[in-house]
Amino acid sequence: MYDTIVIGAGLSGMMAAIGRAERGEKVLVLAKGYGATHWSTSCIDLLAGCDDPFHGITQLAAQRPHHPYALAGPTMIEGGIARLRAICEAAGYPLVGNLNRHMLLPTALGALRPTTFAPVTMIAGDARQLRDGRPTLIAGFAELRDFFPPLIAANLRAQGIAATAAQLAMPPVGRQRDFSPATLARLCEQPAFRASLGEQLAALARQGDYARIGLPAILGLKHATEVVRDLQNRAGALVFEIPTLPVSVPGMRLYQILEDEFLRLGGRIQLGGFVQRGESISDTLVAVFSEAAAREQRHAARRWVLATGGILGGGARATPEGYVRETALDLPLQAPAGRAGWFAPRFLNEEGHPIFQSGVRVDERLRPLDAAGRLVYDNVMVVGGALAGFDPIREGCLEGAAIATGWMAGMS
Amino acid sequence: MDHIELSLTQSLDHCIKCNICTSACPVAAVTDAFPGPKYVGPQAQRFRHAAQPVPDESVDYCSGCRVCNQVCPTGVRIAELNARARAQIVAERGMPLRNRIIARSGLVGRLSSGPHAPLVNFTLNFAPARWLIERVMGIHRHAPLPKASTYTFRSWFKRRKPTVNGKRPQVVYFHGCSTNYYEPRVGQAAIAVLEHLGFEVIVPPQRCCGLPLLSNGDFPAAQKQHEYNVTHLLPYARAGIPIVGTSTSCTLTLKEEAPELLGLHGDDIRAVAAGTYDIFEFLRDLYMQGRLRTDFRPIERAIPYHPPCQLRAHRIGRPVLDVLGLVPGLRLQESRAECCGIAGTYGIKREKYQIAMDVGQPLFQFVRASGQDLALCDSETCRWQISHATGVATRHPIEILAEAYGLQP
Repeated sequence: MYDTIVIGAGLSGMMAAIGRAERGEKVLVLAKGYGATHWSTSCIDLLAGCDDPFHGITQLAAQRPHHPYALAGPTMIEGGIARLRAICEAAGYPLVGNLNRHMLLPTALGALRPTTFAPVTMIAGDARQLRDGRPTLIAGFAELRDFFPPLIAANLRAQGIAATAAQLAMPPVGRQRDFSPATLARLCEQPAFRASLGEQLAALARQGDYARIGLPAILGLKHATEVVRDLQNRAGALVFEIPTLPVSVPGMRLYQILEDEFLRLGGRIQLGGFVQRGESISDTLVAVFSEAAAREQRHAARRWVLATGGILGGGARATPEGYVRETALDLPLQAPAGRAGWFAPRFLNEEGHPIFQSGVRVDERLRPLDAAGRLVYDNVMVVGGALAGFDPIREGCLEGAAIATGWMAGMS
Repeated sequence: MDHIELSLTQSLDHCIKCNICTSACPVAAVTDAFPGPKYVGPQAQRFRHAAQPVPDESVDYCSGCRVCNQVCPTGVRIAELNARARAQIVAERGMPLRNRIIARSGLVGRLSSGPHAPLVNFTLNFAPARWLIERVMGIHRHAPLPKASTYTFRSWFKRRKPTVNGKRPQVVYFHGCSTNYYEPRVGQAAIAVLEHLGFEVIVPPQRCCGLPLLSNGDFPAAQKQHEYNVTHLLPYARAGIPIVGTSTSCTLTLKEEAPELLGLHGDDIRAVAAGTYDIFEFLRDLYMQGRLRTDFRPIERAIPYHPPCQLRAHRIGRPVLDVLGLVPGLRLQESRAECCGIAGTYGIKREKYQIAMDVGQPLFQFVRASGQDLALCDSETCRWQISHATGVATRHPIEILAEAYGLQP
């Protein structure tokens, strides 16, 4: 019934699905649950450890021909990012940045994290601006756990930024219990809540003559850009969001935007569909089976994209015997032979740990290969964190590699 | 520990506390009474032990919609943990009279339907009576209660002459309480469609699937219902005759809810589960095998369609969209709202009515904004809730399919 079925609803899977649907195909996204996008900051990290990310990618691709960036090539990297930015722009949630420059944005610990594109709600927090000597306020709600303005401000001060902290009073909302980031985000879309928040921010900004105010990334789910603009007007200072611990509201926004776009293009999404195995005729995958009530559901398609992520995303699982296996299609994984080879002796090893480089080895068209380098399936493409040969979190290229390879699967 | 228990306990350890479920939970979004799936599910579960006091009573505010299961990235069976926890509370403390009554939908239906139905319906529409029922029974005065039918589906089925004769492939129809006592037209449409497709339809003796008992925590009574149904359905399941149902919550109960929650997994139970289909799932399978007739009349219209939680819990995608998508001219607009709020008997309870209405707001807005005078939904209590909140008539998709085939039930 489908031209393409994409397994996995994270960033790479959604980019692939959007690409195929744009080409007029009938596409299904089949996913176990929400993807890792809900844990992400919705910033696009391209590459850490270099001044010019795009230049760094070119160098890396030349040195490591099996790296996802090398497989995708500059056209797909630029094209995928441009498409994602256009989708977010059209949804009123622009991703701001430049392929040749990093921003340094504060984390919930007050560390400065390099990233290449960030939602417009975060960019006033770029360290280049914060270091202009004008005072910055970091504020939050005591009710929001795991976000401590004094800690953030202290760490920013240690890095030469004039930051102070303040705790905001929770406006009367008729709720007492458990303010998760999502609860607060929904409240921020209510005018009365926002007015009260704006008043407090205005008073604080006057007292301390603050040029900018950093707040937890809870400023609205669907209308974040307007919420931030409104608060800036009320406070008379720039406002920027600092990503929180999961669940991440900016990540939810990004997922929602991608889902909206995919559905607008006529795609179908099935969550709770945990793919357990495939059915093939020689090197053609003809169907997959997802877990369902009482019996499996069979899904047939001409072409497949595997976007299940790595160990974090659930695409790879370690068995008690010390093997790593690919969860959806049981593809051969490129991984250390046994548990002894998983980790380097030092925890903070500069080269990272071998286990985090494990994944599916692919050919130049992203098709899966076995240990001997033979093609496993002719009509399957593997994208994002499921790929072998890179350590996306340590290299700071999780989103960039996901977008580039996802878009490649969407376009080729 | 049985294998289901084991999988529930193990899935508990798969929780990585990412809070995706709590952020998606439609109940936690509107009330403080329910702190969210993560807390009452995998977290509170660590403190639940036999002979220990119940750590958390807010689990009773879980509506059982299973959105948490659906979005969980690591596959934790949160809704099942909650249902079992509620049953443990009921087993320890007993069940309020109100829940005993509304959980017995077969009995309530039997007493309400028949020639005296107009009187029952009048009373249930009579404000002072509803006020009294709320005071005495705790059923909210505005709760959407279905209209009892003057005849039952079974009596209609017995009286009628089958439109097919000769040797035909057989299917079993599981009608459930709502079709039998409140909406016989749904069953009539199902029979018309199945016979049009060349099947001989069998309607064996059956009782309430037991889902209202399960969701109100009376597991022993639910088990009796399930065992009765398995006994009467088993011969067909063993003979390879598919069991199809129009109530997507009944088919879910036969397939999974009863076996999983009650810890029943004998061969007979499994055979019936494996032989049971939601009717549109069955029709979609026929289509994939090239066996579905597509002699549709065009229906030139757009209709909002809400895939209810119980259907989503089958984890079979959107069979209604797949099948009705074949009807020329018909454009179904899929609701992306999480839940209508009613969750079976949850939203009719006095203390939960407003929560259910708040949960359903996004759906009600979607239905109203469609500007259509008809909506579709596979689940009966959801249809009643949608109609109650929006005033828009809500029907089972099989009724539209019968219309597309030009069938007069």
